[in-house]
Order: sequence, then structure tokens, then C-alpha cells
Amino acid sequence: MSRSFTWHQVEPKDWRDKIGESRNAGFTFFDFLTGVDRENVEGNQMCEVVVHLAKADLSESHFISTQVLNELPSITDLIPAAQWHERECAEMFGVQFNGGNAKPLLRHENLGRPPLLKSTVLAARVLTPWPGGAEPEIKEDGRKVGNASRRRQRPPGVPENWLKP
Amino acid sequence: MKHSFIALIEDKCTSCMLCVRECPAWCISLDSHTIDVTEEGARRPRKVNVLDSFEIDYSLCMYCGVCIDVCPFDALAWDEHRALVTTNREDMLLGIEELGPSGSS
Ligand code: SF4
Ligand code: SF4
Repeated sequence: MSRSFTWHQVEPKDWRDKIGESRNAGFTFFDFLTGVDRENVEGNQMCEVVVHLAKADLSESHFISTQVLNELPSITDLIPAAQWHERECAEMFGVQFNGGNAKPLLRHENLGRPPLLKSTVLAARVLTPWPGGAEPEIKEDGRKVGNASRRRQRPPGVPENWLKP
Repeated sequence: MKHSFIALIEDKCTSCMLCVRECPAWCISLDSHTIDVTEEGARRPRKVNVLDSFEIDYSLCMYCGVCIDVCPFDALAWDEHRALVTTNREDMLLGIEELGPSGSS
């Protein structure tokens, strides 16, 4: 069986209409809703929200996406199963789903920045000593052994001016 | 081949630290020292890293395989061993001896 996939990029104002339209056209299987951090789009921190809907026999798929600053109308009245995903997307990417369930899913409320945004430095990366910091010639206490000339390295994913513990 | 264990082939490891740095879970640590090796006919001694310890903390490892991928010397490999099931997290910290590939010990 061949499967067909089509992508539909819409404006946030057409988000609900497009999803309702697909659902009414037989795309009744809701697979997922998630976010993609697009970072800087023309100077704005944008998040792309994507929904995958498929025909019940999985023969055809619609991926519907839209780019938002930080809010989007909820689709839970159209697709109740999307609630869990909207709540996850809200706490992981900081997108507010208006009209949906705003209760936090896994994280405590107001506990730092959304963790899946690329601009979020994970606190553990700052507070945990990085095992890769030592050079073969530099011991953990900073003692240099032999020909230790190389500069200490910075962990991947930690910005240059990261907080020192 | 089951992807259930990361084995260290000690002889191949050069203590280059690449796996330690790239591991997303920061669960590998190693210690090493440098010695001078003079080969016959060579004008100057060569510096060689000697591995003192190599540990994977299997309570943090998520079996992503990044370390295996990044090792330029093929010193890490998937293996069918399993890290122990235990109630003590310290038992999940495996060193050079325990990390040997299956069939080696
Ligand atoms: S498999 Fe992944 S998490 Fe485990 S030691 Fe290797 S790089 Fe780290
Ligand atoms: S990347 Fe390979 S050679 Fe380098 S320290 Fe890790 S296991 Fe050893």
C-alpha cells in the first residue's frame, strides 16, 4: 500500500479552520501535535506547531503547520485527543493554547524557561561539573602534568558566557 | 547483536576524550597520563596517553550510541552484555574491567 503525505503551511488565523477541514475530509486519526523551535525568523523567536492527521486506514496523511510567536487557539474542541499534546507543547515550547487546558502536564508551574527551546540553557549543564573539562594532561584539581598547554574546553551547548558554578 | 551495552576495547582507546565530551548525558569519565615512548630509529620520544580509568555510569546512559559513533579509533562498540539490574546506583558505575566486550573475560 502506498501512502501519501501532504504538507500544509497555514497562517495562525487559519489553523483551526484547516484542521477542521481535514478532519471533515476523513482525516480522523490524530497522530500528534508538537512544536519545532525555529529560533530567529526575521528577528522574532518563532515556534512552529505541527499536527499530523491521517485517514483511519493510514493511506493518506496531512501535516498541518503554522508559525507562532507564543499563542495559538486550541483545537481540543475539534480533536479532544490533542489536549495532552497541547499541554506538552505549552510547557516544553512556551506556546499558549487559548481555550485549551492550561494545567501543567509534567513540570511545576513557573519553573524556569521552556526546556525544549534552544535558547534555554539547561541548569544542570551549568551546575554539574563537565567530565570532558579535563585534558589528559590536566588533572581534576587543575594540576598540570606534562605538556598541558591547551586551553580548557567548554561543554557543547553551553554559551560562551555561561554562569560559573 | 543486541544494543544493550557499550563495550570498551581498551587497547584501542587513546584517551582522546571525544566520547566524554560528546556524550549528551555526561556519563563517561576517564583519567589518563602521558608517557614518552622511544621507538627504535626515532629521533625523539613520542608522547603516548595511557588510560588509567574509564567509567560509564549506566544509571545515566541512555544508549544513544553517540560515543560509539564519535570514537575515531573504534574503541567503543555495541555489545550484548547488559548492565546489571541493581538497587544500588554505585553498582551501575562500570570501569575498564567490567566494560570489556563479551567473550573477553
Ligand atoms: S550511549 Fe550515549 S548516553 Fe550512553 S555513554 Fe554513549 S554517548 Fe553517553
Ligand atoms: S573516543 Fe574512543 S579513543 Fe577517544 S577516549 Fe573515547 S573510547 Fe577512547
